[in-house]
Amino acid sequence: MIQPQTYLNVADNSGARKLMCIRIIGASNRRYAHIGDVIVAVIKEAIPNTPLERSEVIRAVIVRTCKELKRKNGTIIRYDDNAAVVIDQEGNPKGTRVFGAIPRELRQLNFTKIVSLAPEVL
Amino acid sequence: MASSTGALLAVGSPLPCSSSQIPRKLSSSLLCLNNGDLSTPYNRSLRLSRGKVLTTLSNSKRFAVGKEAEDSFLSDVSEDSDEMFDDLFNKYGKVVYKSDDVKSPSAEVDDDAESLAFAVEMAKVASEVKAGDIKVLFVKPLVYWTRFFIITTAFSRPQIDAIGSRMRDLAEKKYGRVANGDVKPNAWTLLDFGDVVIHIFLPPQRTFYNLEDFYGNAMSVPLPFEDQAPPRS
Repeated sequence: MIQPQTYLNVADNSGARKLMCIRIIGASNRRYAHIGDVIVAVIKEAIPNTPLERSEVIRAVIVRTCKELKRKNGTIIRYDDNAAVVIDQEGNPKGTRVFGAIPRELRQLNFTKIVSLAPEVL
Repeated sequence: MASSTGALLAVGSPLPCSSSQIPRKLSSSLLCLNNGDLSTPYNRSLRLSRGKVLTTLSNSKRFAVGKEAEDSFLSDVSEDSDEMFDDLFNKYGKVVYKSDDVKSPSAEVDDDAESLAFAVEMAKVASEVKAGDIKVLFVKPLVYWTRFFIITTAFSRPQIDAIGSRMRDLAEKKYGRVANGDVKPNAWTLLDFGDVVIHIFLPPQRTFYNLEDFYGNAMSVPLPFEDQAPPRS
């Protein structure tokens, strides 16, 4: 359940460390974003000497949420953190590797590029 | 960062933790919790060790659920003789059912061969449109979600478009498959046919993402045609 003002970790090596959600892409007045949703975020913390800088506005895909993700077969997945992967306007990830486990639902949502860069898919 | 990315996996319904739902390598921070009533019957899997037979068959119809149990079962099939199974049969005289979603090894091999034929055909199409540095990787041992990767370089967006549309056409006409993924030509265009995933890069993106390195342990499939030389830039 990501909403504007939520802080997220960054799950890739793009150079950003912390993001703050400022808008959810989708319907107008959408309240919450979940795994696989695209958000507009501002970089709150970044690694020095990387292409991305603090206070830059970027797009990101949510890959992990503390809120449980339910599957039809009854499986429930809940992560320890809220995390996102920084993407550009075309949908390509800005980093070259994704860290941590990500859910397979991203593939159905056409983020196969992120899935193919990830070390572990749940 | 990776250390803080634990996940909790829970199965709440009366379904067993089938092998398809559990990733092959669960990290230490990952837990698989079953309901209390599940743990007893389903954990009593048939364990066959060399020479000694440890068996606890329950009333449950399913057994050998979970990757480990299934692996040990499959690997021992070749080693142990039929007599042992005969003994088991005489002792218990019951037909033991496996869970339905596990494919037989022969069906798996058939599927692999079919995917391989499709992947090679797609690579051929890419070669016809003068794509460079075509690689077909067998990634099934590394990731569960697909079988083959095709990684190729195109030198311009119109060429990416040409390769993509040709592949889509052939896949739809000959194999009746429809691709997910990018519709418009992109610096990294991805076509997802389920068991075959095709990555078409522009040269800078190919070196940037360096997918071959990431999947360095994957087996490269030899191609039946002459490949273009890698891009010189």
